[in-house]
Amino acid sequence: MSAVAHALTLEDVVVEYERRGVGPVRAVAGASLEVGRGQIVGLVGESGCGKSTLARAAVGMVAPVGGTIRFEGLEVRPLTRRARPPELARLQMVFQNPFSSLNPRRRVGEQLGEAMRTLGVVSRAQRAERIAQLLDQVGLSAGVARGYPHEFSGGQRQRIAIARALAARPSVIVLDEPLASLDASAQAQIANLLVVLARELELGLLLISHDLGIVRHVADTVAVMYLGQIVETAPTRELWATPLHPYSEALIGAVPRADGAGILPEALPGEVPDPSQPPPGCRFHTRCPYVFERCRSEEPPLVELAPERSAACWLQLQGEPPAPPAVKAERLARAVPAE
Amino acid sequence: MSDLLEVEGLRVRLPTARGHVTIVDGIDYGVEAGEVFGIAGESGSGKTMSVLALMGLLPPGAVVEGRAVFAGRDLLRLPHRELRRVCGRELAMVFQDPMTSLHPMLSLGKQLTEHVRRHLGLGQRDAAERALELLREVRIPDPDRALNAFPHQFSGGMRQRIAIAGALACRPTLLIADEPTTALDVTVQAGIIRLLDRLRRESGLAIVLISHDLGVLSAIADRVAVFYAGRIVEGGGRLDVLSRPRHPYTRGLLDALPHPEAADSPLVAIPGTPPAPGLIPPGCAFHPRCPYALESCQELVPPLAPVNGRMLACPVDPLRG
Repeated sequence: MSAVAHALTLEDVVVEYERRGVGPVRAVAGASLEVGRGQIVGLVGESGCGKSTLARAAVGMVAPVGGTIRFEGLEVRPLTRRARPPELARLQMVFQNPFSSLNPRRRVGEQLGEAMRTLGVVSRAQRAERIAQLLDQVGLSAGVARGYPHEFSGGQRQRIAIARALAARPSVIVLDEPLASLDASAQAQIANLLVVLARELELGLLLISHDLGIVRHVADTVAVMYLGQIVETAPTRELWATPLHPYSEALIGAVPRADGAGILPEALPGEVPDPSQPPPGCRFHTRCPYVFERCRSEEPPLVELAPERSAACWLQLQGEPPAPPAVKAERLARAVPAE
Repeated sequence: MSDLLEVEGLRVRLPTARGHVTIVDGIDYGVEAGEVFGIAGESGSGKTMSVLALMGLLPPGAVVEGRAVFAGRDLLRLPHRELRRVCGRELAMVFQDPMTSLHPMLSLGKQLTEHVRRHLGLGQRDAAERALELLREVRIPDPDRALNAFPHQFSGGMRQRIAIAGALACRPTLLIADEPTTALDVTVQAGIIRLLDRLRRESGLAIVLISHDLGVLSAIADRVAVFYAGRIVEGGGRLDVLSRPRHPYTRGLLDALPHPEAADSPLVAIPGTPPAPGLIPPGCAFHPRCPYALESCQELVPPLAPVNGRMLACPVDPLRG
């Protein structure tokens, strides 16, 4: 596996925001992630967990105070007023609301052409042809180039935003909630498009989403984030079959299923704590149904438990075969009889 | 007729630069006491406008036709003052954004007591007692302290609970909830779904629950109506509609959802996009996107008719049997 060089590597990234009156808030408190070419990595977690901040740090939109971010061997430095090295243009980003990232007063074709001109990726003579090709890649007709963003539906606009990211011939695209503002049928269309693009163009995708259903369907591997830290990473199918971290288990159990069976989703008690005052020990211990003594004082590291599976939980010890949290907790209760 | 709410032939037309445009085009349904009636559909299908019409909350210039009989009175023909008395007391509403119904500058105690004092004529002390009771009912932690706090001090999920507390203040018999969990995380959404379910079971509250999320409706709705382009295309018991859909649009909505058992196949998206109001195709509004459309679908508007145990607006009925 290591032969597949990871196109985007985040190592122990820390991002802080200044807040007046209180100390700095650690939105991302040491997170590591890797995205390979042709691989779709889902990043999930509740709002306020730092997933969007991590995504922004990954492309250099916010400056981390610690850790390193490398893209194809090059360090990703925060954006400044100077032009960034052209190699970094192959790392692109797509936002939730395509209407705010597209210029409402310029034709779609002009906006795609502009991206090519700035980056110098396509000669002027070939631009029109390339624009048609890009639109085709995202499932739009060439005629779309003559229209303005407002003439299109939300799903079509998101396709246009993706086409513009593709104009830079990227190897990795970071997508921050690209489906959140779309209707179910448009969501499904864009989700399918992302899979096709990842496979056909060997694109690495870092897909940030609060919609676990979509991530489950699209992502090859998933990273679960809680309060600024990654608490579990796993191949998608394995994560859903046996989540190892109690938080992953809670997230998956909270998704209601549309099967008509009338089953109430499981609620997770409590709220995400204030990231400026994270709980001591394991950050999840205040809401964890399996909490025990050690969790309140010691912070569990993210350790590899099986090939491609890591979790940060005191129930899952390195060297022991991983098992669902409930099984581990029961074993622990039997091993340590109550006083 | 034992229905608490009976809507018949509801039509809503809204004024635009190009004249009036039909948003809701003849809707019939009934809601019984204590039941959760789910309304599904994509944005622009008329879900929200159809309920705003009941409460007289449509934008100025809107034209409403039909009947909406709630506890014996036609809401659409009630004089304004009487409608105001019914809404907020017997009939209450919560929205996607709880701040729609919460005042940002008033403490929870103030906004919850004002409500019951005005509508129920309670004295200061009784009203404060009722406010505390409401916060407990929706499970706001530390309700005594919460009475003196302001909405911005709470998370999105807690704010939605507070908005629900406000809606429940006068013990309504019907709650209309328009996408109440759409802006929330799944974990918080699960809590709100459970809260609505408990309210229905404990106090016999009837709920009209609008959601684009079929999973949410599947969790607590007793019956579901699927809206498309201002009409109901399929309606019936939750299990019938969601596990054995008969309308191609309902089938399409369900197929577009990621399914746990089919994680390897691509999602089946409905081709095209829903029509914009004012540009609704003739005949069955869904025919341009329907894989089973016949020539007749382009001309005849299919009536909503009973088909073994449910209502279906598709004479072709390609999914039967």
